[in-house]
Amino acid sequence: MGENSLRGFLEKLEKAGQLVHYTDEVIPEPEIRRIGRAAVDIAAGNTGPAVLIENIKGYKGKRVAINVLGTWANNAVMLGMDKDTPLKEQFYAFAERWAGGSDGELKWIENAPCQEVKVTKDINLYELLPLFRVNKYDGGFYFSKASVVTRDPEEPDNVDKQNVGMYRIQVQGPDTLGIQVLPFHDGGIHLRKAEEMGVALPVAICLGVHPVNSLMASAPLNFDQSEYKYAAAFMGEPQVLTKTLSGNLDVPAYAEIVLEGEFVPRERYPEGPFGEFPGSYSGSRRQFRIKLNAVTTRKNPIFENLYVGRPWTEHDTLIGLNTSATLYFQLRETMPEVKAVNALYQHGLTIIVATDNRFGCYAKTVAMRLASTPHGTNYAKNIIMVDGDVDPFNLVQVMWALSTRVRPQKDVIVIPNTPGMPLDPCSEPPGIGGKLIIDATTPAPPEIARDVRMVDSIPEAEAYQKILIDLQKKAAK
Amino acid sequence: MKCVRCLTDNASKVAEAPDGSKAWEVYFCNRCDFVWRSSEEPEVIDPDKRDPWFQMADVEVEDIPVFSPVPPLRK
Ligand SMILES: [Zn+2]
Repeated sequence: MGENSLRGFLEKLEKAGQLVHYTDEVIPEPEIRRIGRAAVDIAAGNTGPAVLIENIKGYKGKRVAINVLGTWANNAVMLGMDKDTPLKEQFYAFAERWAGGSDGELKWIENAPCQEVKVTKDINLYELLPLFRVNKYDGGFYFSKASVVTRDPEEPDNVDKQNVGMYRIQVQGPDTLGIQVLPFHDGGIHLRKAEEMGVALPVAICLGVHPVNSLMASAPLNFDQSEYKYAAAFMGEPQVLTKTLSGNLDVPAYAEIVLEGEFVPRERYPEGPFGEFPGSYSGSRRQFRIKLNAVTTRKNPIFENLYVGRPWTEHDTLIGLNTSATLYFQLRETMPEVKAVNALYQHGLTIIVATDNRFGCYAKTVAMRLASTPHGTNYAKNIIMVDGDVDPFNLVQVMWALSTRVRPQKDVIVIPNTPGMPLDPCSEPPGIGGKLIIDATTPAPPEIARDVRMVDSIPEAEAYQKILIDLQKKAAK
Repeated sequence: MKCVRCLTDNASKVAEAPDGSKAWEVYFCNRCDFVWRSSEEPEVIDPDKRDPWFQMADVEVEDIPVFSPVPPLRK
């Protein structure tokens, strides 16, 4: 995938007609927010372009990239597929690469492009980068798509325990950042150890990387799995890294911008609110602070950020298929009848699973299995089960299954008082919830369905779709 | 100067438009960590027009919940 960089990917998008240049002058607020919102809203997150905003009032000469992986067309380009590829096919292609595991190759270079420009004195992020407020009532200007690199302070030479995570970051002072790291995340484990030891944890924050790097940063990998090795396996080529100026951290050599610094140990400072992916603001909390000691960039760097808020947004696209693929493989370990998992909605608060019934009411067991996976424990609030021949990514088919398969008295189950997701606005108290299972599969023996004949699906018709689409393209010329 | 969110006198200018256009300035409150740009919408930067739900005038910093508690030091 080129030089596994943001720029390389933007070139691919441009060739596919999925990148536009916005050259009219815009004011940072509220216009960048509105452009980001609009780009992902086109065809409900399906076909909108990435946008390079090139003429920002007060930031002449600086550029913002937004909606880079906001839509399924852009995701298809990342997977090397035609931009019209249906979502279910993108899911299988994604899952196949995902299964490639963590054995990818790493390569280090010196004099990396991400260090062409070095700022080590008088750092002022408000002047260096075209920052903007993502949502109106956010507490400040946020990095919403940052890859945060830390190492285990007990094993600083262990590359596999180096973590790359995506956390929301509020720019506060000109060289200070507020950051929300969840205690159970890998970065949170590094931070807890450093604070127990009373030391400042070094950190690097990468902005503007290849989308596969962002995917891995936002994916729930195990503590001792390297996000960079995963990215290399996923891309099928080595991940090129370089060392930070100030320390032992590895950053993508072609990143647009790298911020280097240290966590301030054993102190907490106000951060937030921030408009989050369920479409609600999280409140103000006292959180970790980072103090920067260097900013390095490529020449004429592109500042990439994502719009997140009321769904659908780039946040949903970014985490959607890796959440789905993770759950798909976990279920299939013991339940090979599972055909596909759609966990696209609010990070899997609502999930649709396509499965065959091994025997009567089996789908309900699959649902309970889903609800007890690590991710499903707090997410997987609404679980919809459909037959194996229903495409769970095609909501028309899912609605058909609900309409024609669900017997409310038998197939709808509510499990009260289970763990919930604190960011779910109706989780009350935050962190407590319940589960809803709707079984929209066809009854299997020994359960007896009513004696009806359903109209067959016509898989042979798919080949004709391509013919008709080509004819349609010709007709439009 | 006065912070538009917590209304205390803890804010100061931290940046101007870097292209020299004087298009705007950025302000930062070192008490509540709010940041704003002078060119933003009134509902964001005018305390009278901001949604009261987001104001922090009556909030003590010490009362803001801590997300990740500081762990005990190792002996
Ligand atoms: Zn304030």
